[in-house]
Amino acid sequence: MLEVKNIKYSYNKDYQALKGVSLKVEDGEMVALLGKNGAGKSTLFLHLNGIYEPDEGQVFIDGEELKYDKKTLLKFRQKVGIVFQNPDDQIFAPTVEEDVAFGPLNLGLPMEEVQKRVTESLARVGMSGYEKKAPHHLSGGQKKRVAIAGILAMRPKIMVLDEPTAGLDPQGVTALTKLLKELNEEGITIIISTHEVNLVPDYAKKVFVLVDGLLIAEGTPKEIFSQPEILEQANLEVPIVTTLFHDLEKEGFDMENDYPLTIDEAKEKFKELLNKQ
Amino acid sequence: MKFDMDYIAHNNELSETNPYFKLFLTIILLIVTLALDNLYFDIFIFIVMSIVILAIAKINYRSYLKFLTIPMAFLVITCIFLIFFFGKGDVIYETGIFGIVVTTDSWHYGIYTFFRVMACLPSLGFLALTTPIAKIFHCLDTMKVPKILIEIGLLMYNTIFIFLNEIDTMQKAQKTRMGYNSYMNSMKCLADLISNIFLRSLDKSETLQNSLDSRGYAGELPVYVPPKEE
Repeated sequence: MLEVKNIKYSYNKDYQALKGVSLKVEDGEMVALLGKNGAGKSTLFLHLNGIYEPDEGQVFIDGEELKYDKKTLLKFRQKVGIVFQNPDDQIFAPTVEEDVAFGPLNLGLPMEEVQKRVTESLARVGMSGYEKKAPHHLSGGQKKRVAIAGILAMRPKIMVLDEPTAGLDPQGVTALTKLLKELNEEGITIIISTHEVNLVPDYAKKVFVLVDGLLIAEGTPKEIFSQPEILEQANLEVPIVTTLFHDLEKEGFDMENDYPLTIDEAKEKFKELLNKQ
Repeated sequence: MKFDMDYIAHNNELSETNPYFKLFLTIILLIVTLALDNLYFDIFIFIVMSIVILAIAKINYRSYLKFLTIPMAFLVITCIFLIFFFGKGDVIYETGIFGIVVTTDSWHYGIYTFFRVMACLPSLGFLALTTPIAKIFHCLDTMKVPKILIEIGLLMYNTIFIFLNEIDTMQKAQKTRMGYNSYMNSMKCLADLISNIFLRSLDKSETLQNSLDSRGYAGELPVYVPPKEE
């Protein structure tokens, strides 16, 4: 379980990026953090494994408070893996395998175990066979997969992804979402920050909305997407499927306050509406 | 055609040969060339190594020429300076401008420096063009070269590609908006580019530090030994 209590953080005295954020993510959950650009999502993420030390507030994992000494930090960074938005910021080694091995080696594991983890992690993200390749010869989607493998190799309990779908092509986005859902089913808690509202109801059980350094709402996708004033504040929109049903309601169809968020839900709703007539 | 040295190093006939052998051969050739100071030997090495690079490693001759041109420009400038502005001894040619003369000494220096460097270039090129950098670092590491040097080299090597990419993108953005269309304008554009790339580099270095820390970086890059291939 990951718990953040009333975190405040300022970059300088005129600009407070986080103004007291508290949130709780249970084990095995897959949650989304929504918010416009500059809302403080990345800043919040960098607190979760102690890269930033908050001015006020605490971070807890499994009830244990994050302290900022070397030993505790290493332990927390093994438990909470962060996948950065731009894979170029994360992948630094001259070959793919060396980059994936970086985390486990820092944990001081024996070489055989590291080799095993590198092979497994690359296989898990579908990048087997690229071990000896230079990262800068890979495509954007492939780099993202390598970055995720680098985190997986540390066997984290919680995986935090900053805008993982940014810059990927549509098939890349679908494939990545599928991979993340599978990882979640295998037991990793996943926290994603994103603007891609269309995909959120598909994977997220819980949604947090961050606006100007404050958490203004949390709940299921259904709850969040039915509150227009919150979406307005966060510069967000409802998923495109939902827009369709709002429009249909204006034309006289009765929705009974139930607006589908995903394609599957929409299918059911259509059948229901067609049967009524 | 774009000249991508890293790509060439990974994709040529000699990529998979023993990196230790290549490294030692290069070092020995460099030392011998510099120590012997013999014009004929220099030319001999230049020809032999060029043949190795072009015929055995099968590297495209245009890439090889590009590899040679950049240092060659520096070499020519250096040698011109050597010939006209250095050395003592008998005057063999007077230019008649500000009393600048060519002496036997400076002529000798100029010519010998030129050919020595000419021999060293393909020797170095042999290593640089046929060996992926990861392998070179690996060799250096097992040879007990100080870790700090290897780490700096490693990080620099990787970031240089991101750096070049950024420069390329920014330059295109400037050109799209009529940059570099006159002499003065070019100077200003270049100045903007340089200051901007400096700020961005600082920013990037901080993000890289964060991402390394996130994976438990403790001030030392560990060395990974890949499993033996069956």
